Amino acid sequence: MTQTVGQQLIIAAIPGLPALVFLVLALFGRYLKEGAQYVAIFGVATSLVFSFFALLSVAGVIGDGQPIEFAVNWIDLGEGGSFQMGVYIDGLAAVMLVVVCFVSLMIQLYSGGFMQDDARFAWYYAVLNLFTASMLGLVLAPNFIELYVFWELVGLCSYLLIGHWFEKPQAARAATKAFIVTRIGDAALFIGIIMFWRATGTTSYQGIAEAAQAGFIGGSLFTAAVVLVFVGAIGKSAQFPLHVWLPDAMEGPTPVSALIHAATMVAAGVYLVARTYDIFVQSPAAMLVVAYIGGFTALMAATMALTKKDIKRVIAYSTVSQLGYMMLALGIGSFTAGIFHLYNHAFFKALLFLCAGSIIYAMNSYNVFEMGGLRHRMPITFWTMVIAGLSLAGIFPLSGFWSKDAVVASVFAEHFYVLFGMALLTVFLTAFYIFRAIFLAFMGEPRSEAAGEAVESPGIMTGPMVILAFLSVVSGFVGTPIRNYFAEFVVPSAFAAETLALEPEAFSFVLAALSVAMAVAGIALAYAFYVPKPEWASALAYRFSSVYTFLDKGWYFDDLYDRVFVRPAMATGRFVREFDRRTLSGLISGVGRGFLGAGERLRPLQTGGVQNYALFILLSVLVLGVIVGAIAGAQYAFLMVALIAVVTLTAVAVGARL
Amino acid sequence: MIVAFAFLAGMTLVSALGVVVSRNVVHSALFMSGSFLGVAGFFVMLNAPALAAFQVLIYVGAVTVVILFGIMFTQRPQVRHFRTILQRQLWPGLFVALGVGAFLAYVLSIEDWAGTEPGNGPREVAALGEILLGVNGSPPIFGLLFEVISVLLLVAVIAAIVISRRKTGEGVDRGVEE
Amino acid sequence: MPPQAQQFIDALNATIPLEGYLVVGAIMFAIGAWGALIRRNAVVVFMCIELMINAVNLTLVAFADYLPGARGAGVGYAVLVIAVAAAEVAVGLAIALAVYRTRKTVNVDEVDLMKG
Repeated sequence: MTQTVGQQLIIAAIPGLPALVFLVLALFGRYLKEGAQYVAIFGVATSLVFSFFALLSVAGVIGDGQPIEFAVNWIDLGEGGSFQMGVYIDGLAAVMLVVVCFVSLMIQLYSGGFMQDDARFAWYYAVLNLFTASMLGLVLAPNFIELYVFWELVGLCSYLLIGHWFEKPQAARAATKAFIVTRIGDAALFIGIIMFWRATGTTSYQGIAEAAQAGFIGGSLFTAAVVLVFVGAIGKSAQFPLHVWLPDAMEGPTPVSALIHAATMVAAGVYLVARTYDIFVQSPAAMLVVAYIGGFTALMAATMALTKKDIKRVIAYSTVSQLGYMMLALGIGSFTAGIFHLYNHAFFKALLFLCAGSIIYAMNSYNVFEMGGLRHRMPITFWTMVIAGLSLAGIFPLSGFWSKDAVVASVFAEHFYVLFGMALLTVFLTAFYIFRAIFLAFMGEPRSEAAGEAVESPGIMTGPMVILAFLSVVSGFVGTPIRNYFAEFVVPSAFAAETLALEPEAFSFVLAALSVAMAVAGIALAYAFYVPKPEWASALAYRFSSVYTFLDKGWYFDDLYDRVFVRPAMATGRFVREFDRRTLSGLISGVGRGFLGAGERLRPLQTGGVQNYALFILLSVLVLGVIVGAIAGAQYAFLMVALIAVVTLTAVAVGARL
Repeated sequence: MIVAFAFLAGMTLVSALGVVVSRNVVHSALFMSGSFLGVAGFFVMLNAPALAAFQVLIYVGAVTVVILFGIMFTQRPQVRHFRTILQRQLWPGLFVALGVGAFLAYVLSIEDWAGTEPGNGPREVAALGEILLGVNGSPPIFGLLFEVISVLLLVAVIAAIVISRRKTGEGVDRGVEE
Repeated sequence: MPPQAQQFIDALNATIPLEGYLVVGAIMFAIGAWGALIRRNAVVVFMCIELMINAVNLTLVAFADYLPGARGAGVGYAVLVIAVAAAEVAVGLAIALAVYRTRKTVNVDEVDLMKG
């Protein structure tokens, strides 16, 4: 449906404003310094308002309830097809827009306090806004090409932000690792896009979905392409086996982790699957792949979080795990549940990170075993973190309960019992590890000097935390079984729903109670282990030390990848460098040296003696004469041979004499 | 004719060799005049007696004298060994010279000169005059060249004076003392 | 007179082929070139150069005599060559004198400042 130019501009401004802010801050940041945050916040706040406008328009409150779409021709190849840049906003996209803008706003407010004395303050805000703009662009994209552009941009911003403190070698390495691992996914995604394009001639989601229906792209090729696209999502959302970058990405500033690695960028993978759901549902095999990878990742990451000392890493693994939940939901066909979890997760996960950041800001340490007793010293942080933890664990009536329960219930309802078991076990583990971290950090006695002296963070940091805590409680209420607004708003297309043919889910009290029970059990166990008798935990770790190490080292994935991929690659790189240095450069300088040497050896020819020069002249004239004679007539041929012999002899004699 | 030719050729070439191999510089100069005389004889045989006169006058007369003057001013004692007068590139020079000579001889004689008869040279001085003036079928350029040559000679004289001028403050040339 | 003697005298009176003069000129040129390359004394080098010039003159005049097409131009050129050679001797010897004054040597191979 057509919009007025004004409406189009407003939509275009949603990603446009943060991009503009990026330019302004990148160019003039050094003059703005502390003022950068105000420019940035203004930009994002305005985008948020516009996003609300879009949301309300799609919801039918102020518009006509139809999805917003418009596009311009970007590259026109005539017969070869053309690529468009445009916008498509339906319920799903509108919700994402609001979430991204809102969380970004909270983070930017928070960063004003956290990054206060940073040397590259303005640049930080610039890249943060570039990221926001790219993420928003990604959400708006109606076709694969536009998606890919923003996909890459988002990856770039992630690299820049993880490596913000590039003076730290681990940060630089972590940024590179993140970029390279996601690159693998990006490459697969691109291959998938090309496969679709070759088969169907278009890159728009709708176009491909329709073409697939019509049979333009057949069976196994189609599944392969879909799976490749999913591999891209695996990379970006840090699912197994490309999950290794996310824990290391915690080297970046905490607000960055909150924004990128909790709420938005990693959600891009989930968003991609949701966005292209019409395509995914046509390949049951691909759907199964999605579901099982999601489920397995959820369990795997939860186990890895059990042993971590670094509070940010616990939360990072938690993110991987929860993303697994979302993939699981999407894979088995409950689109709404997956997206609902995505939406809720954004808030409480961001909040968890911000709380961790608050602790780090106060104590300058991220090691939970150095914390303790912060409950009284940092009350706001404590309570907001508890709320976030409860929401994550899925305790009634917080937001996490509604969405996680929806996922678990639908897994059961669709008869995926193995996955159900995995999901339920993950619920238990999730509750355990998050409350392990909380209890270790806040309860008991301070275990280090810094913990003993910590004070609550400034208001500009706690403000966003409180807001997010509030949301962590209430955001779920739009999706309760009583009146599920969310499910009405964010739905898969009619086609997808038909293809999936899911039974409508009734709310199951049994399952709900079961998952809550598991969560409570987890919390209780965490309490038992860490509050009254902390030595139980260490004793257990000692008894099962091999299991402990296995979990602590992330199931040895990093070592595996290092051995199999990194070392050969580095060796190849070293070899190439040496080859380039020795052989090629040697060749080139060898040529130079060769000429120099030849010149040196020819130097004695310049004797300074006139008669020597005269000899050479005569010689040359002779040779020329002979050559001309030879050209003029063959009768000089023998003469030429004879004279060349004479000439050579002479030259040698002269050279020897000289 | 052949006798005369053979005699003159021998005289010329032997004198030329004498110039090159003689250990005394003055001997070289005298051999050179001998060679010039031989060439003058050739000119007579080639129906250019006026030119022969020029040759003798200028070469044997003036050039030889100037060379002798030059020898006087740059005097060196007579040497005993060939080593002192000959450069290190004796043999290479020989080869190159032989090569040049052979090449020239071969190129010149390989042409088909059959049918050419002597007798076209300027037998009378007047004929030479006509050649130089460019009348009666001769190329008309010699007039201009003649004038140019006179300028050249003037320049050469001045140049010689300038180059060999003694700078103020230098002593008398006592080359003999070395 | 016996016929062989007559033949002999006739043979002796035969015209010299053009090649004869040319070859003599070539040899003389070669000798002059050899000497110019060989001798250390600058004045002797000059003499050898004069030899070469004379050889060329000889060739020129020989062509002038034998080839009618040139209409005697060779002789004219020979005159000019003689004049130029004379000028060249004058200037050359002046240079040799100047060099002798500064370097106290007349040997060509000892004037090698441009060595290397």
